[in-house]
Amino acid sequence: MFYLRGEFDLCTGCGSCLLACSNRAAGGYSPRLARLKILSERENLVNRPLVCLQCENPFCLNSCPFEAISRAEESAVVLIDKDKCTGCGNCINACPDKMIQLDLNHRADKCDLCAKDPLCIKYCVPGALKLVEKKGVA
Amino acid sequence: MSAYMGKLLYIDLSSKTSREVALDSELARQFVGGKGFGAKILYDLLPPGCDPLSEQNILMFMPGPITGTLAPAFRGCVVTKSPLTGTFADSYFGGHFAQEIRYCGYDGLIITGRATEPSYLYISEGTVEFRTAAGIWGFDTFATVEAIRAALNDDTVKTACIGPAGEKLVAFALINCEYNRHAGRAGTGAVMGSKNLKAVVLRGSKTVVPADPAGFAAAVDQAYSELAENETIRSFTVGGTAGSIDFANDEQLLPTHNYYNGQFEGASGLNSEAQRKHFWLRNVACAGCPIACGKVGLIKTGRHKHLVSDIVEYETAAMVGSNLGIGNVREVAYLVKKCDALGLDGMSAGGVAGFAIEAYQKGLITAADTGGVELKFGDADAVNYLLEAIASRSGLGDLLARGVKAAAVELGGKAADFAVHVKGLESPAWGPRSVPGMGLALATADRGGCHQRAFPILYECGGEWEEKPVDRLGLAGKGKIVAHLQNYLAALDTLVKCDFGQYGVKDVTYARLLETAVGEAYDVEKLMLLGERVWNLVRLFNLREGFTRADDTLPPRFTGEPLPTGPYAGARVPLEDLSRLLDEYYAARGWDSEGRPTAEKLKQLGLAELPKLIDIT
Repeated sequence: MFYLRGEFDLCTGCGSCLLACSNRAAGGYSPRLARLKILSERENLVNRPLVCLQCENPFCLNSCPFEAISRAEESAVVLIDKDKCTGCGNCINACPDKMIQLDLNHRADKCDLCAKDPLCIKYCVPGALKLVEKKGVA
Repeated sequence: MSAYMGKLLYIDLSSKTSREVALDSELARQFVGGKGFGAKILYDLLPPGCDPLSEQNILMFMPGPITGTLAPAFRGCVVTKSPLTGTFADSYFGGHFAQEIRYCGYDGLIITGRATEPSYLYISEGTVEFRTAAGIWGFDTFATVEAIRAALNDDTVKTACIGPAGEKLVAFALINCEYNRHAGRAGTGAVMGSKNLKAVVLRGSKTVVPADPAGFAAAVDQAYSELAENETIRSFTVGGTAGSIDFANDEQLLPTHNYYNGQFEGASGLNSEAQRKHFWLRNVACAGCPIACGKVGLIKTGRHKHLVSDIVEYETAAMVGSNLGIGNVREVAYLVKKCDALGLDGMSAGGVAGFAIEAYQKGLITAADTGGVELKFGDADAVNYLLEAIASRSGLGDLLARGVKAAAVELGGKAADFAVHVKGLESPAWGPRSVPGMGLALATADRGGCHQRAFPILYECGGEWEEKPVDRLGLAGKGKIVAHLQNYLAALDTLVKCDFGQYGVKDVTYARLLETAVGEAYDVEKLMLLGERVWNLVRLFNLREGFTRADDTLPPRFTGEPLPTGPYAGARVPLEDLSRLLDEYYAARGWDSEGRPTAEKLKQLGLAELPKLIDIT
């Protein structure tokens, strides 16, 4: 399976990842609508990228009462079926990293890894975001 | 659809009311954003002769139509009338605040009036709250940001705030835009302080959508590749602007001992290598910027061990370092961070401290004025004393808080001879004596002594203009160069560009970004016309305030005192040379010999009979 990894030592906090992501996710530039976050710590000494890890034991998936969240067969990415989602908020409440939020249509929204070619990585000039493969998980 | 949010937010602190004002399409078309909006609105709304620290003055935070998108290296500006110079003032800031104005749904914030008690504004998802700042009045800028985040229980809000210096109306107080990003110059923080406004806090999640999303995305990718291919941009990524220390020192442009000379024996202690060695840990960037000229870290050794410091960028490394004879970058980092915390513009603070030290040497200030503190070059503790005295306006600090121009008048004697400023704004860290084009740029910059309105040094120090080498010490042709650069940069300041991004992003790409963002055709020629329109409107503002050709001048240190030693020993910009430069410059601008735009020029620029483009009644 593949997932994103964010590295605080390389992240510059520019948030270009958030802009590219939000434009795809929400049809316009707005960092708060991105499917990843960047934290600022210690007078901005540290910017910590926070990304969906496509967990092996996804709390979001497990907590959904409507079976709207599933794991894709080939890529193993955790995906939301917006037709099944009711916007109940269980997954949002369950994810400890707050990697799920409601989209503009009030449906749960999360990182889908852009079909294994993440836009956030394309615009991460300092190389703080990487696509990582975890073997032996499906 | 266009990248404009379609609204300006007008806030009157006196009546605690706010109102959304529809963005006039003609304002957008003729002035685009940023500096352009600021210039037009200030010209339209501010009564001539208005006291900058009165409630009538207007404080604007202006992004541009590209700010907040994925396009690399855009930011915002504060526009107001300066308490330091009495001119139009536009002061540019990076960080994330300007972008958040757009995510809040606005193309700009216009603030007037005066709150009856210390207050801050919390603007969140369409609501405007007037909150008390009683509990944080007196806090430094770092503590202010922390306290506001805690009060709102939100670490993601974006804050612009003043420190104690702004509260005390220090004429060169800044507005801090988290962290180490400031609307630094010309005293915008004093205007905010005069309004009893401690902070403006934003939280927004509206989207910015270009008129032509696919065309815009392609222009963004073009800008990214231009930045990636540019060597100057690479040098900013590696060493930030501190890399300019070596260049300025080699070229004898680095202010040393209150601009006595242009080379400093301790320069290698301040440059990017020294900073990397002593504290840098990682690159840090403003919103949407792949350049990342910031370099934050922890001081490793000495009495400031463990201090978090961002890069000491060139201007403050020079003004608080070499200009004060301090070559230990850990001390300079501490002092510059102190300026940031107190809310003092580090550039002016360095200029003022250099002036004070020289005044002490010459006996115009004595130990009786300083409470026994000896003022001397190379002494970080003496500078620390000065910064604290200025920010609290205690003792000698009350005089120095007015800036070098006013302080020199008060001190009398020969003080004006070594008060280094233009129109009251302390000069930036580029001594112009061996680069007369730069001298002209400083003399004619709209907000006073500023290097960001035109930077002909790049051409004068070994560069070419129109494919011909430029004679560094010569005068001919410099007026045209300065006028051209001012127009171009004024155009980009409507977008609002970052000064460093424009070293890499090409003019045609800026035009392409703008036209795909706002949905109106732009080419480079039209950009240049836009810049010229904005520059002329600002000139009209300053003329209306009473400025004349006589104010387009340089301080005696640059006109009368030659560089004492070094490769350009003997160089200066005599007043008669400056006069020739001004004649050529005014002619290149289509202005009369007194520096007034001619009726013909105003007509050509569409400024002859332009109505007010904002309705706040």
